[in-house]
Amino acid sequence: MFLQHLLNGITIGGSYALIALGYTLVYGVLKLINFAHGEIYMIGAYLGFILISLLPAMPPFLQGSLPLFLLVVFGIAAMICSLYGFYLEKICYRPLRGAPKLTPLISALGASIFLQNFVMISMGAKDRIFPQTIGMRAISLGGVSFTPLQLTIIFSSIALMALLYWFINRTRLGTAIRATSTDPFMAALVGINVDTVISVTFMAGSFLAACAGVMIGLYYGSINFTLGYLGGIKAFTAAVLGGIGNVPGAMVGGFLLGIIEALGAGYFSSEYKDVYAFFILIAVLVFRPAGLLGKRSDERA
Amino acid sequence: MKKLLVVGLVGLAMVACTKKEGQEGAVIKIGAAGQLTGPEAVFGSDMLNGVKLAVEEWNAKGGVLGKKIELVPGDDQAEPRQAVAVANKFVTEGVVGVVGHFNSSCSIPASEVYHKAGIPQISQACTNPKLTDQGFDNVFRVCGLDDQQGKAAADFAVQKLKVKRVAIIHDKTTYGQGFAEEFKKNLGTGVEVVAFEGIAKGEKDYSPVVTKIKSANPDLVFFGGIFTEGGLLIRQYKAVGGTAPFIGGDGIMSEELLKIGGPATEGTYATFGPDTKEIPSAKGFNENYRKKYGEPGVYSVYAYDAANIILQSIQKAGAADGKKITPEIRAIDYNGALGHIQFDAKGDVKESPYVVWKVENNKFKQVK
Repeated sequence: MFLQHLLNGITIGGSYALIALGYTLVYGVLKLINFAHGEIYMIGAYLGFILISLLPAMPPFLQGSLPLFLLVVFGIAAMICSLYGFYLEKICYRPLRGAPKLTPLISALGASIFLQNFVMISMGAKDRIFPQTIGMRAISLGGVSFTPLQLTIIFSSIALMALLYWFINRTRLGTAIRATSTDPFMAALVGINVDTVISVTFMAGSFLAACAGVMIGLYYGSINFTLGYLGGIKAFTAAVLGGIGNVPGAMVGGFLLGIIEALGAGYFSSEYKDVYAFFILIAVLVFRPAGLLGKRSDERA
Repeated sequence: MKKLLVVGLVGLAMVACTKKEGQEGAVIKIGAAGQLTGPEAVFGSDMLNGVKLAVEEWNAKGGVLGKKIELVPGDDQAEPRQAVAVANKFVTEGVVGVVGHFNSSCSIPASEVYHKAGIPQISQACTNPKLTDQGFDNVFRVCGLDDQQGKAAADFAVQKLKVKRVAIIHDKTTYGQGFAEEFKKNLGTGVEVVAFEGIAKGEKDYSPVVTKIKSANPDLVFFGGIFTEGGLLIRQYKAVGGTAPFIGGDGIMSEELLKIGGPATEGTYATFGPDTKEIPSAKGFNENYRKKYGEPGVYSVYAYDAANIILQSIQKAGAADGKKITPEIRAIDYNGALGHIQFDAKGDVKESPYVVWKVENNKFKQVK
């Protein structure tokens, strides 16, 4: 039973981690909590729903191969969400750069409410049900049951994180992101286009959030326009848990949060599922204010 | 001083105007309250369409007391706070009778507002006993009660399914938890309750609780709650390898359950009233409803009858005044689409038979 809870926790934790990365990346370069990030995740889930519903209208080579089709769904949803992230920054944050710190935060909340209502009006207030495409049949192995879908989710979230890690540490653009996050002023002086770096950061974060959205949609099968609220708050918690601004921290925080929730709900009472997560958050903030992997800094909230 | 006087006079005039509009308008207003938006919106629209049909039929015959009837919808979003706001809005708008609300947790606080204003309320779906236990003379319901429903579910589990181990899950709402406790109470001593768990409404991930339930190894899983959570629970329970069937109540009796839960819902049981698509008295209703709004939802016919009872009572009372309508509802001897309805002293229906339904081939069918 312990292993089962652990597996459940890792599955949901992977999606927390993917969303948390978006918070952490943006915080790194802008020192801003992008509270509209949860809505990008929700929009990703809706895009996944729309695309998967289109399966019967797809060309036969896609209909024949489920993995290929899913790859296309993930790709398109992530691409469109990247655009959402790009324009979100351009419209809601860029004009406010240099404004007092509270101003972009309020703008973020406004963007979040706008996006939520936009989806409610365009897609309806009802729950949307995903067509059940991938295997939901449970496979049992040594007392642990899982579905092929669950494995797909775990592996793709790890693969996406590896991809991001490579992007941040091994590419020129990634180096520029790291430089900007260390000191935006100096980065600009050495010739880094800070505006481009910020746009790329938003796009990368949205890309990951969209993938998490599609995964969660597939996993739970029903989505609605309020999905981004709790998802966003949980992922934000994960980012703070690991140390906001710290990329490996967000990954660790995400998985940890998922596992704590699963074990807490499994061994004590599921009524207090959210209580465990937020209790741990408070404890970490009290004893390690910079998060588990974060470094102390005056900038941090 | 003069200015003050003018302000005072204008104020008085406004009060006088609203009062007049409310009580002696050219129309008689009927309220219909429920979750018109949100994840459970299908229950709200089923209700609203049922009431609409009744109002349209009366208006086609010339309305009531020579006046046209106006339907005022109120969206409580399945939230108690919102329900009280809707109730207050109805009162200020001068509504003379209310059909609704759907959720017991909404109906109970709203009923206090209606009680103070003297407006009769008939709920089409609230099954929690507390609603009519409050002793309000203006509160009625046309559906059954959770103590009857809990007993029906427990009897079925013990006598027909012959279960020995039962796991119980509820959504911590007035309805869900109340129903779950009634079920538990009626199981008797021969059945062991292996788990009694509350879940958070609106959550998507129930894997911890279903894992726990699965390892308790029950013969049957009871769920007190609504289809949104029910569908996810059943689906996730089967995904961790659970095999026991689920049983729920009126809250999961919706086609939406089958969509959310998918093939995992096959074999799920639910307690509800008898099939209204089969009883002869509902034949006319079903035909007219289908023509206008498509296939009726399970609660459409209850809402339709509730609206008809209010309208008929207004006719009998001879006045669009809640205080005069209430005694007429209490004394009514009504023959409608659901069959024969009479209210007892508390405002509950005198006879309310619960039967068990089962999901077979992706459809709810009454268990004979």
